[in-house]
Amino acid sequence: MSAVRERWFGLTVLTGLAVAALFALWLSPPDAQQGNVVRLLYLHVPTIWVAYLAFFVTGVASVLWLVPRTRRTEWDLLAGASAEVGVVFTGVTLVVGAIWGRPTWGTYWVWDARITSELVLLFLYFGFIALANAFEDPRRGDRAAALLAIIGVVNLPIIYFSVQWWNTLHQGSSVKLTGSSMHVAMLWGMLLMALSFWMYSIGAALTRVRAIILERERRTQWVRALAP
Amino acid sequence: MRSHEFYIWMSYGAAALAILLDIVALRVRRDRALAAVDEERDLEAQD
Repeated sequence: MSAVRERWFGLTVLTGLAVAALFALWLSPPDAQQGNVVRLLYLHVPTIWVAYLAFFVTGVASVLWLVPRTRRTEWDLLAGASAEVGVVFTGVTLVVGAIWGRPTWGTYWVWDARITSELVLLFLYFGFIALANAFEDPRRGDRAAALLAIIGVVNLPIIYFSVQWWNTLHQGSSVKLTGSSMHVAMLWGMLLMALSFWMYSIGAALTRVRAIILERERRTQWVRALAP
Repeated sequence: MRSHEFYIWMSYGAAALAILLDIVALRVRRDRALAAVDEERDLEAQD
């Protein structure tokens, strides 16, 4: 991506986030039961969607990297970059969720099935990054991290269905593939926030991939010729 | 917005800070990588 396109992309993401935040903080109505604290929904739900997707991408890229027929360095780079994006968004989800818990449940933290499985997701991300960097031979580290990611994907349906499988304080999903229980105005505000976060995470992952390629291939002629 | 104002601003502030730190970290990493490429170019020019 050229520098000009990169700037336009960044500007589009920032505008999307600003408009979504404006809607979430001022334009959207308070909830009948939760009042103004429902405004945290516009942050909490989109960030966990990005965190889910980032781990799914990490898992799929890990499979593609491990299978000899599909093995390409790009998959390994994508898995690593996606994991780093996932750490940020899982962390934000947990922090916002904890803050939301205080006025609604009276506590910042409970060992609830949904919250605990989201914490496990954060640890899986940390584990992936730590393993990838733990060995002198980077290929061994990448292989161990890829295996962890593949096993860790199992946690995604556990997080999603935890509110149905166990008795939890956490409310069920307001948005499903089959429909939504939210008012349409609130839904569009949340989808705009989600779209902006997704665009940000794609840009951040690609920037990470590019930086890693520059670091690894800096001695090659093609990188020296292409880099500005 | 008055009720629960503290929790709302704390959440949005924490999220904005996290994104901002991520952007700064990305820029630092990219600049370091580009500096390393420049270093290699200089070494090549000296040889």
